[in-house]
Amino acid sequence: MAITDVFVRYDLKKELAEKKMAAGKDALLQKVMDAVVDGDEDNIVAYVNEAMAVHEPMVVIREGLVKAMDEVSRLWNEGVYYLPQTIISSDAMLAGLNECEKKMGHAMEKKGVVITHTAEGDIHDLGQQIVNALLRANGFEVVDLGKDVPVDDVISAVKQYKPAMLTGTALMTTTMTAFNKIASRLRRDGVDLPFVCGGGAVSLEYVTSFDLGIWGKEAQQAPPMADDAVTGVSWAKMRDKYNS
Amino acid sequence: MAKFTSMAYKSADEMIFGTAKKPVKYGRDFEVGGGMVYPEIVNHPRPGSEETKKSLMREYEKMTNDSMERAVTLGFPGLQIELEHVWQMTKNPDWGGDIAGQTVRQQEEWYQKYGIKSAVRATIADNRKPEQENIRDCKSLELALATFTSSARNGADNLSMESVGGKEISDYSIVRQDIRGVLFGIGVLGSRDLEFLWKEVVDIANKYGATPGGETNCAQANVAMFMAGGMLDKSVPHTFAAVTRAIGAARTLTTYEMGAKGPTKDCAYEDPIIKAITGIPIATEGKTCACAHADLQGNLIAAVCDLWSNEAVEYHDMFGGTTAAVFTEILGFDVALMNSAIALGKAKDLQEMMIYSDMYRDAHSFVVAPAQAYEIGKAIVANNTDYYSRARAGAICAAKLILGDPKMLLSKFETEVLQKTLRELESFPDNEGDFINQCAAIYKKAVPGFNLANYGL
Repeated sequence: MAITDVFVRYDLKKELAEKKMAAGKDALLQKVMDAVVDGDEDNIVAYVNEAMAVHEPMVVIREGLVKAMDEVSRLWNEGVYYLPQTIISSDAMLAGLNECEKKMGHAMEKKGVVITHTAEGDIHDLGQQIVNALLRANGFEVVDLGKDVPVDDVISAVKQYKPAMLTGTALMTTTMTAFNKIASRLRRDGVDLPFVCGGGAVSLEYVTSFDLGIWGKEAQQAPPMADDAVTGVSWAKMRDKYNS
Repeated sequence: MAKFTSMAYKSADEMIFGTAKKPVKYGRDFEVGGGMVYPEIVNHPRPGSEETKKSLMREYEKMTNDSMERAVTLGFPGLQIELEHVWQMTKNPDWGGDIAGQTVRQQEEWYQKYGIKSAVRATIADNRKPEQENIRDCKSLELALATFTSSARNGADNLSMESVGGKEISDYSIVRQDIRGVLFGIGVLGSRDLEFLWKEVVDIANKYGATPGGETNCAQANVAMFMAGGMLDKSVPHTFAAVTRAIGAARTLTTYEMGAKGPTKDCAYEDPIIKAITGIPIATEGKTCACAHADLQGNLIAAVCDLWSNEAVEYHDMFGGTTAAVFTEILGFDVALMNSAIALGKAKDLQEMMIYSDMYRDAHSFVVAPAQAYEIGKAIVANNTDYYSRARAGAICAAKLILGDPKMLLSKFETEVLQKTLRELESFPDNEGDFINQCAAIYKKAVPGFNLANYGL
């Protein structure tokens, strides 16, 4: 046995497919798409403005920005893209969207509201930041409560904003206990919504031990979960779908 | 503040587990780096036990007793216990202080009865929020310093911390594969924050006769490493995370320039670089921290350790006893093997096996192997004119080492990421002031709440 046989690099046996680009409707929209797929935040605004000289803003959004993000999602799902490529594409997409909204004179209607927070006592909010970026890039309005958020503040925000979905992130088992308290208070007050919890030591067993709780294994689950939530899928059905 | 401008060791080959150039003595007849490796157990309380001070103290009392009893039962020569604070222990300084005092008293009883050597490390939580408050004058800092004081006053032997300075920038940058932001957030801002923090910690330690122990870049380089994850994960490229580690080493070095003596913190995977530069004893964690996270350098990271840790294990029952007892046992036998190798004159053989078990498993493993750690350390001290220059030099060195070893297998994607990272690093300004100005403009716009004044800028 050689020393290199001590371990196996399975990842190298699965070298990935080359990046393929979905085609845009015309050259201007293609430039917008390329900028999003390449995460080119420096030039996206200029390309969007060029495209809006010919197309309505909604066309640029639908046929350029959104279509490009679909492509980014595909590349990530197929393992061609890593998270950073997805995040910088999201940044570019949101910069482009902002420009389109300026021209329209109003914000594009969002799919729905999602409240995100990191548990009281926990300052590890990177997972939450990733969830925020992915949700925004997928058309949701995110109310970001930040990190180290007391239970009372989460309850108040849910009552104020009436979101389709609530998320909670925690690194430690001793901070995730806030999630059960939040869920209990919401149930007691008659609030019924999916409460997706994830991060660090947060386990499926713990999150599914209380009503409303759905375990989020990875940040990229957030957009499809939010899609379900805004279409009225109950927390119980979502738990069946994602946690069974 | 005296900066390190030379290496503590003449070569990487001189470095070995169990022995450090500057051993540290404290606790109950406990010496770290004096020729023997000791286990360091980190027990974590069960969820719910933190509800009251009384229940948390009882939880720690049981965990400590289980660990000490198992160590004596199996004949381990010594044991360090780390109290890695849950936030309630730092937000309530009397909780952290009283638990430290209780743990010292328990160890003293075992020492008096059986003579087992022991020590307590108190690792205070850093709950500051850089993008939300003045981290040089806020309640979280006040409480952290009060907890350092209560812990030291009650007998904690080693004061340590996992601080978060610059995390608002490194978090933003790591997920965007932005090496400029990583270099700024960790190499510049993180270092400046350590300079501020560790003056306070060293003063407290000196006042109460405790040892200022160590730091870790857990909040930054470990974020990159854990997000890089295993070989099938697609969150952060492994090569990017490996370069981040070299920057983390330059940052953590500040702790020891400010007067910390070690042993360092277990989760500081930059510690082999720190030991090469400073000669202080280090704590590391690897295969026996699988209870807390997967690890691609499970054996290798023990190659130059002086304390061997499990990172953290939650307190539960297992067939073989509680986790506190079981993981003390595993750690104890891990170090018994190392100590046997030392006693038999086979330490370098065992070290070689540890290294080759993992060195080419991953780029991150590669850069913390003694030979590469030593070279990165040399690059850091040779450019120790300012925080930026040394961190950048360490990062460039790490990237070149990875690219330069044909036995280091990388995917096409990982190679491209590393080449791009190296090109970017080499394109940055030579002058720290120019780099800071460049970054200030970029990140004040990109990261809401980012405040240069938090770092004395």
